[in-house]
Amino acid sequence: VCPAGADLISLPEKHLVLLRDGRTLIGYLRSIDQFANLVLHQTVERIHVGKKYGDIPRGIFVVRGENVVLLGEIDLEKESDTPLQQVSIEEILEEQRVEQQAKQESEKLKVQALKERGLSIPRADTLDEY
Amino acid sequence: MCPDGDACVARGGGSEPERGPRGASLAVGVSAPLTMFRYQSLEDCPPDEDEDAFQTLGEEDEDIDQFNDDTFGAGAIDDDWQEAHERLAELEDKPATARELEDGTVSDEMDLLGHHEENLAERLSKLVIDNELEDPAIMQAVQTQPSMLQPGGLNSSIWDGSAVLRRIRGPLLTQEMPAVSVLEYALPQKPSQTQEDERDLSERALPRRSSSPVIGSPPVRAVPIGTPPKQGAMANFNQQILCPKPVHIRAPMQQRYPAPYGERMSPNQLCNVPNSSLLGHPFPPSVTPVFTHLQRAQLLGGAQAGRMSPSQFARVSGLVGSPLASMNPKLLQGRVGQMVSPASGFRAFFGGPPPSAPTPSQQQHPPCPGSHLQNLRPHSQMFRPDTTHLHPQHRRLLHQRQQQNRNQHRSLNGWGGDRGGHRTCHQEQLRKDPYANLMLQREKDWVSKIQMMQLQSTDPYLDDFYYQNYFQKLEKVSAAEEMHGDGPKKERTKLITPQVAKLEHAYKPVQFEGSLGKLTVSSVNNPRKMIDAVVTSRSEDDETTEKQVRDKRRQTLVTIEKTYSLLLDVEDYERRYLLSLEGQRPTLMEERKQKICDMYDNLRGKMPGQERLSDDHFVQIMCIRKGKRMVARILPFLSPEQATDILMATARNLPFLIKKDAQDEVLPCLLRPFSLVLYHLPSETVTSLLQQLANLPQSATVPAPANLHLAAVLQNKFGLSLLYLVLSRGEELQSSHDATELMQDNQWTELMFTATRELLRIPQAALAKPVSTPSNLLSLFSRYVDQQKLNVLETKLQLVQGIR
Repeated sequence: VCPAGADLISLPEKHLVLLRDGRTLIGYLRSIDQFANLVLHQTVERIHVGKKYGDIPRGIFVVRGENVVLLGEIDLEKESDTPLQQVSIEEILEEQRVEQQAKQESEKLKVQALKERGLSIPRADTLDEY
Repeated sequence: MCPDGDACVARGGGSEPERGPRGASLAVGVSAPLTMFRYQSLEDCPPDEDEDAFQTLGEEDEDIDQFNDDTFGAGAIDDDWQEAHERLAELEDKPATARELEDGTVSDEMDLLGHHEENLAERLSKLVIDNELEDPAIMQAVQTQPSMLQPGGLNSSIWDGSAVLRRIRGPLLTQEMPAVSVLEYALPQKPSQTQEDERDLSERALPRRSSSPVIGSPPVRAVPIGTPPKQGAMANFNQQILCPKPVHIRAPMQQRYPAPYGERMSPNQLCNVPNSSLLGHPFPPSVTPVFTHLQRAQLLGGAQAGRMSPSQFARVSGLVGSPLASMNPKLLQGRVGQMVSPASGFRAFFGGPPPSAPTPSQQQHPPCPGSHLQNLRPHSQMFRPDTTHLHPQHRRLLHQRQQQNRNQHRSLNGWGGDRGGHRTCHQEQLRKDPYANLMLQREKDWVSKIQMMQLQSTDPYLDDFYYQNYFQKLEKVSAAEEMHGDGPKKERTKLITPQVAKLEHAYKPVQFEGSLGKLTVSSVNNPRKMIDAVVTSRSEDDETTEKQVRDKRRQTLVTIEKTYSLLLDVEDYERRYLLSLEGQRPTLMEERKQKICDMYDNLRGKMPGQERLSDDHFVQIMCIRKGKRMVARILPFLSPEQATDILMATARNLPFLIKKDAQDEVLPCLLRPFSLVLYHLPSETVTSLLQQLANLPQSATVPAPANLHLAAVLQNKFGLSLLYLVLSRGEELQSSHDATELMQDNQWTELMFTATRELLRIPQAALAKPVSTPSNLLSLFSRYVDQQKLNVLETKLQLVQGIR
């Protein structure tokens, strides 16, 4: 078993990395070390909103290991059959903005409601949230 | 000296007279010892300079004489070199501007080279002593060169011009590649290159971009107008050969600032290596890449192309625009493949010039890997002795890459239906990733080793509980499937972690002999005491009731935690039992029993030696959500008596518990274990249980007008469900034995009356929704109430399934 190395053979396999801040990166994993620091090549940041997603090409990424949540290999054959629909970057960013806004609104309402009841949920500022 | 001295200089290296000819020649002749050599001899420098130059080399006189002779004297075969030179010069003529620019470059180079040039000259002259003149292959090559170069529009870029120049000049550096490449690196061509880039780019009207050229760039003309149709083979090959210039941009940088990952196979390093062979090749490797449709699509459309650095882009554009892209297929064979920028789809190709006579272009149509291989072999042969100059990691990388290519070739041939099988070799080429194996196998193994070390565990069930359990479940499922089905459905890959035996290390702090006293050596295993913390208990008087309440709660929490640990241990015993040896099992059983007792004692708050007095402890535990869940988990382990006791206590205090549970709503979790207990209870227990629920004293016969206890119970989901369970059990008992004690039990009957009364009394709206309604309640009630009331009950409680 070679957990780290098997993916770095000559036929490049795309990898998907989920970061702690919620970003999803897809690229060719070029290097890894014991801390899970990653070097990703031809990376694309994929934003998912609902059933749509959009890819933003980012180039080369060097990710510090502590920010990695999970790393997985993409099955190139399965990659194509996805129910998700790819849209343009502008569109997906717009969607994301809308989603964030809606989330913030609901969050605000929640906090308000709790406040009325005299309760308060501590803001998880230091924790990872997305 | 040479009648055409000036002309030579002009043609050969630069048209600007003000530059030192030597410098010019040197600069240009970096890769061209042949020419340089000639130039040296032919320059306008005074003869003694030449002599000096030669002498400084420490040549023997004979050699010098021979040189001179060859050049000027009888040995000189004027025609040859002149002719050859003419031919070569023709190429340069065409890109006139290019040459000028080239000269500009050269002059810069010269200025910057300075000292290097001297050494270069020396070495190069050393190199090209005899071979070039006598080696038939080379002569042939030199002759064929111009013919090859002629076709194709040479309105070429600077790239091509310089490439051509360089190639021409350096036919025979096969043996001396290292020297040459070092020289290559030494040349700081970058500044001049950029100028040329710009000019070149402007010529082609390709805008310079710092961002990715992919998005929104104008369509790249792969083949400039006027060039012969592109060769299919080239497309197939998908080979892209860099003009040397772009390579040179990188080369010096690469050598000077070796990448931290020295073994990284950046395109640059790869370029460096073939570069030298390139130089050594008689043919102009000016077969620039012809961008196939696919490549172009990749370049332009690939979302993953990322950003290309300016220099890379320049390189690309240069490549793209080169008219030599359309070069005769013959050129291909002579070419040395190099890596282009890392944008998608660029191939690295190690094509080595065949050392023997350059067989014509037919070679270019062989299957891709084949050509790879063919070209590789001589190449690698050439390489091996010459890589000594390279950084050891670089060299290793090269070899590895060659091996990999070979392997790939082999594996490609061997692959049938494997995942790559259906692809053509063309696609295979596409997929070969120049950046793959950036990490050596050694490095990968190293990281794997570390990861495995981290996974070492003496007790996997402790360290990695969920993983172990998950896989156990999976295995059970697959085993079950196997029994039913045809065979193993799916192979689940399980990581085999290293099993390490537990070793007891008694740490002994470092002791030095002969030292007075103990040394203060503090380490992880032997920490020094920094703080003297003393636990002081507070005096009881000072506590306020608030504090007391809080303390009590805290104590309860502690009890819960302790009991939980016991519970986890007990739950684990089964597994341990299976793993343990025969002799150990009784001990394990004993331990388990003991722990169960401890748990129970904890629950009931029984202090050793104390009679159980109150439910208080238990109730406190039950007020806490975790406590309730814990009790639900403990119940299966308790003996019947203990379990009954718990049940009773719960029923007794139910309204209170209900009240406390309002927020958590966790009580229903107890229903399942309770029901399990219930169904083993004898009748009198059931009676008492019901009694508890109804909160009637044992002897009471006078029913209260409204049974608050029961009412509360009825209004709660858990309570109602529990009541139903109890009633159901009772009915079960009743119906199972005809002459049942229950029937004869007055208490039961009374209780039933009470219950039914309460049920009837309570408004439907207040009635809770039970988890489940046992089916035998109807028959139960029918024993105790008349038809009318029965009907009421029926509808109220929705006892008949059909109603819902």
